[in-house]
Amino acid sequence: MKRRHFFRMLGGTGAVACSGISSYLSDLYAFQETANLSHVEARFYKKLEDREIECELCPRACRLGDKERGYCGVRENSGGTYYTLVYGKACSLNIDPIEKKPFFHFLPGQSTLSIATAGCNVNCKFCQNWEISQVRPEQIRHIDLPPASVAVNAEKYNCPIIAYTYSEPIVFFEYMVDTAKEALKKNIRNVVITGGYINQEPLQELVGVVDGIKVDLKAFSQEFYTKYVRGELKPILEAIKTIAKSDVWLEIVYLVIPTLNDSNDEIRQLSRWLKTEIGQDIPIHFSRFHPMYLMKNLPPTPLSTLVRIRDTAKEEGLHYVYIGNVPGHAAENTFCPKCQNIVIQRRGYEIKKIELVKGQCNFCRNPIPGIWS
Amino acid sequence: MAKSRVVIIRSSRTQGPRGLVPPSRIKTMLTRGFALLTDQSQTEAGLRTIFHEGEKIGVKINTLGGKKISTKPETSLALAETLVLGGHQKKNIILWDRTNRELKEAGYRLNTNGNDFRIFGTDTNGIQYGTQLVSHLNIGSLFSTIQTRYIQSSISLAILKDHGLAGVTGGMKNYYGAVHNPNKYHDFNCNPFVAEIFDSAPIKQKHKLTILDALTVQYHRGPSYHAQWADNYGAFIFSFDPVAADYIGWKIIEKLRAEKGLPSLEEEQREPVYLKTAARMGLGKNSDENITIREEEV
Repeated sequence: MKRRHFFRMLGGTGAVACSGISSYLSDLYAFQETANLSHVEARFYKKLEDREIECELCPRACRLGDKERGYCGVRENSGGTYYTLVYGKACSLNIDPIEKKPFFHFLPGQSTLSIATAGCNVNCKFCQNWEISQVRPEQIRHIDLPPASVAVNAEKYNCPIIAYTYSEPIVFFEYMVDTAKEALKKNIRNVVITGGYINQEPLQELVGVVDGIKVDLKAFSQEFYTKYVRGELKPILEAIKTIAKSDVWLEIVYLVIPTLNDSNDEIRQLSRWLKTEIGQDIPIHFSRFHPMYLMKNLPPTPLSTLVRIRDTAKEEGLHYVYIGNVPGHAAENTFCPKCQNIVIQRRGYEIKKIELVKGQCNFCRNPIPGIWS
Repeated sequence: MAKSRVVIIRSSRTQGPRGLVPPSRIKTMLTRGFALLTDQSQTEAGLRTIFHEGEKIGVKINTLGGKKISTKPETSLALAETLVLGGHQKKNIILWDRTNRELKEAGYRLNTNGNDFRIFGTDTNGIQYGTQLVSHLNIGSLFSTIQTRYIQSSISLAILKDHGLAGVTGGMKNYYGAVHNPNKYHDFNCNPFVAEIFDSAPIKQKHKLTILDALTVQYHRGPSYHAQWADNYGAFIFSFDPVAADYIGWKIIEKLRAEKGLPSLEEEQREPVYLKTAARMGLGKNSDENITIREEEV
């Protein structure tokens, strides 16, 4: 397990090395570890006969008898009432730069208080955080951190953003939404890093309380989702469309896995779909894969593949196409699509230079979409 | 090809006052079951054909359903006492499941030391799940260290129940309780996951025997307990063939469903297809013509 996440949680050396920030989370040592799970009634489910329930949070629609848990492992039917077991139970807590999420068009250079609970509603064979996402909450260490405390700590540690991240925030929906409401009272922004496998009704509620959503699109084929994710592509694409129509800022990440989702055809189809359905200004990050979890038989993505894919997406007309997990690469920068000058220069998670004035390119005054202030 | 043997021991007197099962009756059923399964008139001799002297034996029970539809303590302890007849020390017999809470809710008194039977859950301090992922076919799980480190042989002492997704839960699916992420294996009628978990090294290399506790069978709306669809069937089902045991369990559930006028599991599109997968993988037999049933009333 869990050591690295627990270090993160405690703000110890693991977190410092990882994010490059000072160890000023040390106050959080004061929070007590707890073995107890929450017993807060879940939203978005319906009661059925004979103490059964059907979860309506995600398209999986788990139908559960008494004492059974959903696919996510963090919601349980107890006597015909459905409960979230992770409300206020943070298993991972850290201060990260927003670029790490990654969001490149959302308050660049700002810090996020990043939190997670256990659980996920899919099971990607290449999961980078499986030690927290693919376990049950009682199997990892966590602290009690109610929504109001999250907001208070974000303010205390000068984080203008709270990020719901690392595992799958949809499965801690109630905790996330209530925390976001607390954050809004303090003018703290909320961003969500998700696979996007969520039903429309809860999504509508979510976009009412958060400011940015980054969707991890795993591939652009149902076959891939069936074999390697255990989910469905169609509802995720619907979720992306819904987010794009809302006032919430949207970015897409696509982890490029050698031989599995890296064909030019697939990238072309994805790019065309994004351009048609969302618009050519949506930022998309093509990230390098590293062998993890149940997919250790493939090599890291060659840089040449990432460059080819970026070229393809740009050929299809997408304006903001980034390469991720390759620190120092030129494609980490934001280029003005009109004059081609660099408007945000990055190296890894560090911002080197910003050439934006009121959301416009400092060279040609072309508007650059994003949340800049 | 040799047929697989399944032994069914029935008794009409398994329900005592207040629903308690007389331990003496259980023990009689179990010893007779071992005798018929091993073709040995003496239980001791029969047990020696299954387990090695001095080895630690894990009995994976199922306490998920609470007091009403879990492996009852009187059943588990009667089995453990029977194993002692085969020359095994009490302290080398571990009755276990996922959590201490579920064990206690099902009526077990936990014990982790001394010379008595060991009774504890994977979540006991110092036990837990292993840290190395076991990746096998579609499976990727951490296994209980009880299964991987603390025992040499394993018995699946499972409750026979209808299951809303798998169709039937029996001896093979009981091993879902040996992994940290059973919730990830309920898609597609739990197929091929039930078969693949069983086929993984930590289970397959140690599993010796399936015993289905069919004293009370939940034949509809399982795996939760519903009194109106629970039958006091009064049987134990024994087999060295894990697939055959579950196959016969399935047939019992279908028979009970038919008697009550319920549609078959196939009609409800939830027949236990994982049995076919398991048979294809060579884990056992799943057809009437390949199974010999020896049934006896005690």
